[in-house]
Amino acid sequence: MKLEINHRTTYRYDQPVALAQHRLHMLARPTPLQTVLRSRLMIEPAPTVRADAVDVFGNAVTSVEIERPHEELVIEAASSVDVAPPKAIPTSAGPRWNEIDAAIRELDQKEALAVRQARCMSALTRAPAGLVEYVVTSFPDGRPLVEAALDLTRRITQEFRFDVTATDVSTPLGTVLKSRRGVCQDFAHLTIAGLRALRIPARYVSGYILTIPPPGRPKLMGADASHAWVSVWCGKGLGWIDFDPTNGRLAGEDYATVAWGRDYADVSPITGILLGGGSHVVTVGVDVKAVP
Amino acid sequence: MTAPAAEPFAGSIELTRGYRVHLGHGYDELLNASGKVRSHGLGLVSGLQRLDAGELAMRARRLAQRVRDTGLTYDIFADPRAHAQPWRLNLMPLVVSSAEWRWLEAAMVQRARLLAYVLSDVYAEGRLLDDHLIPPELIFSDESYLPAARDVINGTVGLRFYAADLARGHDGRWRVIDSHTETLAGIGFALANRVTHTHVAGDLFNQVNARRLSPWFRALQEGLNATAGRADARIALMTPGPQSPDYFSHAYIARYLNLLLVEGNDLRVRDGHVALKTLEGLKEIDLIVRCAEGALSDPLELGGTAFLGPAGLLGACRARPDLVINPIGAATVQNRALGARLAQVARHVLGEDLKLADSPRLWLGDPAARAEVARAPSGYTLRAAQEGTGRPGMAASGIELRDLTGEQLDRLIRDMQVHGTRFVAEQRQTFSTMPAYDAGVLVPRPIAIRLFAARTGDDWSLMPAGLAMTVNARSAVSLTADGGETHDVWVLSDEAAGPSSSLWRPTIERARVERSQRVTQSRVAENLYWLGRNVERADWTMRILRGTLRRIEEDSGAFGGQQAAARCMALLLGDDSPALVATGRADIEAAARVLADSKAGRSLANTLASLYRNAFLVRDRLSQEAWQQLSRLAPQGTWGEALTRAPPIALLDLVEEGLGAIAAFNGLAHENMTRNFGWSFLNLGRRLERAYNLAEVTKELFGHADASPENERAGLLLLLELGDSFITYRSRYRLEPMLPLALDLLMLDETNPRSLAFQLAEMDALLERLPHGDAGQSRHVDRRLILKLLTSIRLCDIEQICRDDSRNSLTSLLDEQLAWLPGLSDAISQHYFNLTEALPHRLETRVGTRP
Repeated sequence: MKLEINHRTTYRYDQPVALAQHRLHMLARPTPLQTVLRSRLMIEPAPTVRADAVDVFGNAVTSVEIERPHEELVIEAASSVDVAPPKAIPTSAGPRWNEIDAAIRELDQKEALAVRQARCMSALTRAPAGLVEYVVTSFPDGRPLVEAALDLTRRITQEFRFDVTATDVSTPLGTVLKSRRGVCQDFAHLTIAGLRALRIPARYVSGYILTIPPPGRPKLMGADASHAWVSVWCGKGLGWIDFDPTNGRLAGEDYATVAWGRDYADVSPITGILLGGGSHVVTVGVDVKAVP
Repeated sequence: MTAPAAEPFAGSIELTRGYRVHLGHGYDELLNASGKVRSHGLGLVSGLQRLDAGELAMRARRLAQRVRDTGLTYDIFADPRAHAQPWRLNLMPLVVSSAEWRWLEAAMVQRARLLAYVLSDVYAEGRLLDDHLIPPELIFSDESYLPAARDVINGTVGLRFYAADLARGHDGRWRVIDSHTETLAGIGFALANRVTHTHVAGDLFNQVNARRLSPWFRALQEGLNATAGRADARIALMTPGPQSPDYFSHAYIARYLNLLLVEGNDLRVRDGHVALKTLEGLKEIDLIVRCAEGALSDPLELGGTAFLGPAGLLGACRARPDLVINPIGAATVQNRALGARLAQVARHVLGEDLKLADSPRLWLGDPAARAEVARAPSGYTLRAAQEGTGRPGMAASGIELRDLTGEQLDRLIRDMQVHGTRFVAEQRQTFSTMPAYDAGVLVPRPIAIRLFAARTGDDWSLMPAGLAMTVNARSAVSLTADGGETHDVWVLSDEAAGPSSSLWRPTIERARVERSQRVTQSRVAENLYWLGRNVERADWTMRILRGTLRRIEEDSGAFGGQQAAARCMALLLGDDSPALVATGRADIEAAARVLADSKAGRSLANTLASLYRNAFLVRDRLSQEAWQQLSRLAPQGTWGEALTRAPPIALLDLVEEGLGAIAAFNGLAHENMTRNFGWSFLNLGRRLERAYNLAEVTKELFGHADASPENERAGLLLLLELGDSFITYRSRYRLEPMLPLALDLLMLDETNPRSLAFQLAEMDALLERLPHGDAGQSRHVDRRLILKLLTSIRLCDIEQICRDDSRNSLTSLLDEQLAWLPGLSDAISQHYFNLTEALPHRLETRVGTRP
């Protein structure tokens, strides 16, 4: 499926920002299933310095410095990607979850390192008390990993409420687990923490899902904004498979990947360090449409 | 277990006899197993035996005094309520033989090379990341491992500094109990100990022919210059700031090596270059010696809650990988769990046996290790695998598993299944003992030592000294020394002593470098400004105290004088002071006590504490004599201690002494300080403070219409005394004080260096001389405010104002001053100290916030 994404973010500041440095993870990266056809990043006011690079996880990252005082910042990212439909996977395929160590041993050393890094908890994915107990229900001994991970994904969708007011960017995972509320970023972190607690390699994916659902299908949660989900390593044969705990399903060709990392902090779409500015109001517009 | 009292030794009594009695069965650094002095200790022992008991006691006292004078004793920036242990330095050094030192140096250098190799590998190829060598999860679970630093460390030589804490077990073997690769690990404390200790033990040091430090530091300094890549390089030491427990060390070593002491917010990254904010604008920095945590060194790329480095620093390092040393991310190789793997890694990488191993510990990411700990928990202490490096002695002590209940232990073992990758279980370590001088006798104390290595040229070398510290032998598994005492470490030399020269002894070449380096850091300007304000505030407060105490003492004069003084005290103490509506001498006396030593408002104790902190921060800008005058006023010094206890009669003498010290400081600053921008800010602070205090007290005493003539006269006498203008007044007018005449002298007379107008005119001149920066803009707020303040005073008609019996004219004149002066202070601060209007803050988007 060909997806066209337009993501426009506008910050309006109380007071002029004297100096701004930003790091942006906003342009789609290539993946085994995704080809990037076009991508473009427009920043207003024009940066004094701009550098485009590829970060340590293979994501496109743009660093900018804006030295002129400004009261408004507009960042518009436009990408056009072609996403191949994931292969249909029988949920019984791949290794059993508790035989993941053996599955990793099948990899060569370099591949194994990337996978083993993904099974280590990062600062934002430390398992809070009670999470292992919650997660293991989906992971009885001998259950195939894909089936278990999908079960966990669905349980989180069913048992947690999507609630933008319940958490903010610094809410600890323990609160998300207790309150059973949060947004896709929280659900992704919680799922990753649970998987890593069981030593299963998982990474954080940021991207978009199709805004306008195909006829007859419901609109998904997380559309109209940037979205986040989870990629799980499911053995050498299957590789990385994407699960969406916000919508209780596997990612499909309606998912456009921007970047992945250990957690949100590695791939935050817009990070900025500002001098001045006071408080700000942010307006986000995301438009994702399928084109023929 | 307390030792029974040992007999004091004198020159005639054999020094080590009493010591021997209390020795346990472990390894002692001075005596061998049969109780004889080890051969490398004979020199020190014979030197000591020539000193009698009185001499030793005197030296111990002088040493304690020196430690206080150096500013080592207390962490003066710490929260005073935290009640930190004072830094203590024992008279007895630890002596290490040259043969043992050769072994230690070889062993430390081997470890440093090995860790440098490991660092480069885990951030690049990862060939060592293998279950048989270093399990990858051990590294990847360590939050000091920063994947973003991979392409930076890849291009560098890696480590340049390495420190380790060593303990010698009862078997006589040294083991490493902790490694430090993140910061300089308190090297400044070791240096300060040496400099301080030499003052009382320099003769013994020379007699035993111990190795001097300056050649090593010179090589280190040359190495830094070579790395920086140009002759007059600007090299910065990046510290988290005065709140860091290691700050003393940072300030001390920066001063010694002539590095610019900077905090993250003093720096700015612009297009791949790092620049320092100075009054003269941004100046490029060539090399950063990092003493701030790596993960917090770049808020833009690495996030984190603190802004310990400038945004974009890691990006700047990509362009210049050797910009920051140790590189950001280096902390990973100090991971304690890694220590347990080093022996295998040494064989694999170097094909050598590891000379100096770590103390035995288990990494709890390993299921077999968890099973072992669950089986026999009581021998282990649980600790974080990664812990920051700070002030020596501050390592966390961990959880002793033998203290846990069965239930707690079960929960802990379960937690370790999930989180074990970030924890280690330490086996208990034994410690050797060394003699400590304690109230006339030598007593054995268990110790650990910290040694410092650096890549000074092409290879590593070990600083020929160290820091020994007493530890609690029953519980310590690392350099955890609550209340521990330190000892200097003397390394015996095989060679005849050469001429010594401290790095502080200047040379022409160095002088040139220094002069070109001398930029006025915005933060230094700020500290000098606040030093000026606090010196003046202390002076003013003591003048009020003196005025009060004199009036109590005389007691014969009008009570109005005492009352006026009490009102001045009330101003300084603020609303929360005890009722100062003084009704009698006793109340006023009590109030004077409060002003002297309470924590209320602008009490003298508060002002002196700030003064001392500011003075410490700019110590390298002050002459030795000027610093000595101010350090006499240190809160924990003899004078400061006396101040808190003194009865009123003695208080007056102490206040006179304090005023003398400040007068001496002001004289020295006036006579000896170069008239650079730093001096301008010191002076600005003093002028502004004086102007404010004068306006405030004048308003308090004469802003009300209700004063009787007698009280007005008493108030005028006090004001003239506070303003140090009594003699001028008498010689000029030969009259009893009259309000218009006194106010003319103290408000308007620009020839009187104590008058309000004089302060304002001086500030006007000082501000005029400062760099203005953006010349195209209209006048800065500070220039506009000083003009307003000065004009208001110059245009006022004092006789007319005094004829207004309601005092409304005087009040409104002074109210203007009291409102605009703080505004001027803010404007100066915004214009010169921040260079920008606020501290940086973070902007973050949240993902998926709209359903």
